[in-house]
Amino acid sequence: MSENQMTEATKTAGAPGEPYRGTTTGTESIVTLSKITKTFFRGSEPIRVLEGLDLDVPNGSFEALMGPSGSGKSTLLNIIAGLDRPTSGAVRVAGADLGPMSDSELARWRSQTIGFVFQSFNLIPVLTAAQNVELPLLLTSLSRADRARHVATAMRIVSLEDRMHHYPRQLSGGQEQRVAIARAIVNDPKIIVADEPTGDLDRKSADDVLTLMERLNKELKKTIFMVTHDPAAAERAGVVRKLDKGALQ
Amino acid sequence: MNLATYARRNLFRRRFRSIMTVLAVTVATVIFCLIRTLVVVWHAGVDEAATDRLATRHKVSFTMELPKHYIDEIRQVPEVKAATWANWFGAKDPKERVPFFAGFAVDSDSWFDVLDEMQVPPDQLAAWKQTPNGVIIGDLLAKALDVQVGSRLVITSDIYPGDWDFKVVGIYKPLRKTADRNSLVLRWDFLNNDPRAGFAKDKIGWLVSRITDSVHSAEISRKIDTRFDQRDDQTLTTSERAFNLSFLGGFSAVLGAFDYGSLIILLIMTLILANAIAMSVRERTHEYGVMRAIGFPPRHILGFILAESVLVALVGGLIGVGVVVLAINNGIGPVLEENMSGFFPYFRAPLWVLGLALGLSGVLGLIAGAIPAWRMSRLSVTDALRRID
Amino acid sequence: MLAPILLVLMVFFVTLPLWVRSVPVQYNARSLLVRKVTTLVTALGIALVVFVFAGSLMLREGINRVLTAAGRADTVVILRKGSDAELSSAIGNEYIGLFRGPAQVSQAGGVIGEIVIVVTADRADGFGASNVLVRGMPPDGFAFRPELKLASGRMPRPGTNEAIVGRGISGRFKGIAPGQSFELRRNRPLQIVGEFTADGSSYESEVWGDLDVIRRSLGREAVVSSVRVRLNRPEDFDAYRQTIENDKRFSMKVMREADYYQKQSQALSTFLGGMGLAAAILFSLAAMIGAAITMNGAVAHRTREIGTLRALGFSRRSILLSFLTEATVLSLAGGVIGVIAVQLLSLVKVPIINFQTFSEIVLRFQVAPGVLAWSLWFSGLMGLLGGLFPAIRASRVSPVEAMRA
Repeated sequence: MSENQMTEATKTAGAPGEPYRGTTTGTESIVTLSKITKTFFRGSEPIRVLEGLDLDVPNGSFEALMGPSGSGKSTLLNIIAGLDRPTSGAVRVAGADLGPMSDSELARWRSQTIGFVFQSFNLIPVLTAAQNVELPLLLTSLSRADRARHVATAMRIVSLEDRMHHYPRQLSGGQEQRVAIARAIVNDPKIIVADEPTGDLDRKSADDVLTLMERLNKELKKTIFMVTHDPAAAERAGVVRKLDKGALQ
Repeated sequence: MNLATYARRNLFRRRFRSIMTVLAVTVATVIFCLIRTLVVVWHAGVDEAATDRLATRHKVSFTMELPKHYIDEIRQVPEVKAATWANWFGAKDPKERVPFFAGFAVDSDSWFDVLDEMQVPPDQLAAWKQTPNGVIIGDLLAKALDVQVGSRLVITSDIYPGDWDFKVVGIYKPLRKTADRNSLVLRWDFLNNDPRAGFAKDKIGWLVSRITDSVHSAEISRKIDTRFDQRDDQTLTTSERAFNLSFLGGFSAVLGAFDYGSLIILLIMTLILANAIAMSVRERTHEYGVMRAIGFPPRHILGFILAESVLVALVGGLIGVGVVVLAINNGIGPVLEENMSGFFPYFRAPLWVLGLALGLSGVLGLIAGAIPAWRMSRLSVTDALRRID
Repeated sequence: MLAPILLVLMVFFVTLPLWVRSVPVQYNARSLLVRKVTTLVTALGIALVVFVFAGSLMLREGINRVLTAAGRADTVVILRKGSDAELSSAIGNEYIGLFRGPAQVSQAGGVIGEIVIVVTADRADGFGASNVLVRGMPPDGFAFRPELKLASGRMPRPGTNEAIVGRGISGRFKGIAPGQSFELRRNRPLQIVGEFTADGSSYESEVWGDLDVIRRSLGREAVVSSVRVRLNRPEDFDAYRQTIENDKRFSMKVMREADYYQKQSQALSTFLGGMGLAAAILFSLAAMIGAAITMNGAVAHRTREIGTLRALGFSRRSILLSFLTEATVLSLAGGVIGVIAVQLLSLVKVPIINFQTFSEIVLRFQVAPGVLAWSLWFSGLMGLLGGLFPAIRASRVSPVEAMRA
């Protein structure tokens, strides 16, 4: 039932005829990275974070990325999510080549393709839970009534229908993260990227969030790419990758 | 909800800062309106002088007199409907109840016919013609000097020595808001027959004429001046407005300073606004990073920040304009007009000044928000997300 | 004298944290530097107000300088009783000799009667017209004023229509520059043959010509506007004044020349200075709000730090003092910028109308030590008042809550 509604959301949310919006089926890769390098500069001294990294993430998988601090996990996540650009190498996500896109094109692509879940939830404190979830929909041409319907659906999926009009400071950490997940899925993205989603949560809340993410993967067929330190979180993922010194082990 | 909801909520996040910023804009708007109003008021007496009246004075200096017979010659000019004359009397109140007022020795037969913005009851006018030492004064001056019709009034002069003993025979009322309600007129023949008239004997200070055709006033002025061009005493005929301005000519520098003053207060306002917006934006860097990650393009962020800045500026500007309407147009303005009509016959902020102030507050809000908005929209998403501060 | 004392008090206050056991002042200096853009923008707002404040004080100094430089203590100005200015006064020729009678009059300097008129002249730049003061003086009038120095051209020959122009207005009006001429009456031109300076006084905004030639042009041969008398000693003034003012033959007003100019400058300097100060005080309201916003931001930003300082044992009073010092230093920095920038104004010439004569005089913004001291004091005061509320807020931060936040 909820699944049907989310599919419907796809039809309305996504602008028709987008050239970079590929159709994804079966076991084909949704993320393809080839020969990715990323170099930062501290002063004039170059620091190589990623070195010639190749990665394929199959459509519909739930992957966890682990590795010590400074191994480049977040950088890799940011590159997949179109927040950051590699120094060299090709990035292909959900059928689109991110390399030639401008910043505004990337922004639009993100709003239609990627759902974000952050470690510190990153809800806007002056907006209610429902308004936070509605935020990404403001980028679409949906009517006010349609937006309200999508928000209600997303809130139901994360089981927070009764917290719609609460402000973030009135919610517990686990509830905040679930609102953040609702915000991530409300425009029916293909991929959900999560950066330490359980890092700021107690064990019980973390388990709830992870269970929710499993459901999103299984029932809604969302591809999930998660960076984590937490072995219990990694256990829930279908694939666990380890990154060390800029390369996948 | 829409994006305006978010922008509006942001305004109340740092209540103290928002209130103070709005207050700063309010203060600046009030000061700006005050300065512009002063400039307008300064020109008002000059601007609103009737355009169908010409003033003729000595070409070389306003301190030099013209021969009396010039009045008869001017009256022969076909385009001149009526003409009168006056001498500056340099009147002073010996008891110094009034710091300054204008005193003229005028022709009692024609003065109020030409200067018809002052209304005198006919019986008082008739009495004046029967009373050589009679004077007619403005209603506000009468109040300040505490005299009624029939009172004796002793004044002194900066030019003519001794005490001058007058009888108040009439009090005039203004018919136009710019009429000076603080002037005194005595009879020119009374002054002329007094031995103290000295070198001003049989001379007249300047002439005022009402013309038939205000459109061609420049030509008529030239025609009058040409008539006296070959005489020893040449004339300078201008509109009454230009005549009034000739005393204020040197004040252009002061008015220039006023212009700089209004510019400086706008600059101060912009700096305060820009600083406040920059502080808010810096605090919200992380949040803007989140919105960018969700997919809001840079121009949306730009729009948020500019909208917030303009909104704060407009609210401040609106309150400021409201304060001006209440405190100046309905507060000190009427009080000044009542008590200092010699300087400020009319003291209200005109609508265009209020509109300009409001418009400028909006535009300056846009300018103040521009730099923080531009910087934020240029910041990379990953940098913005890293900023916890 | 008051200004430097107030300034010293303020500096003492600002550096107070250096003398008493308190939050080190370096801490505040550093925190201002860390937020350098905010600090600079706020300081600039204050600098603009100080600019207006110092500018109006400098203008007042300029008026006093120009209008009183002409006045001497040993010289007397005689006007007809009832007149406040040379322009409206008239004294018959027959009296001039009588003023020479009393023993206090210097035999070397003498007595001069002069006529003063204002003529309307078109501006050389074509923008309208204004009034210029023309002074007709007898041949010994030039020697009567030793400050007169010929800057170019030559002195006018006595008894001719030649005249010299003060450097302040030379070239500002059509016909009023060396080599040019303007008419007093039809076919009665004054020929300008030279340019003079006079110690920067208002004389430099006048045209000087021959008394009799000018009077004849005006048809006022029988009178002068004013008489100047040089006394043997400045102390002789009171005796001389009593002699003349008590003389029943005439009704005259006797003033020290210095007092006469002082009185002339009063209206103008009160008007312009008062207006400038009123503007500066109004403007300072806005700048103080600006300082309050900035300091309040600093307090909010450093709540945790303040809590730590309190936990370390610093008292509420030392936190209060610390933030007040920071606000004062911030706005003193603005004051210094404003005071430096305002020096540029001393290059600007301000033509302005003198109320007493309706004629144009040219002023300069004049720098004076009092101006600097007052301006800095004023800027510091703005910081103190603007920073007061945020500083009180900072001092009320509870160490426990701040650490939890």
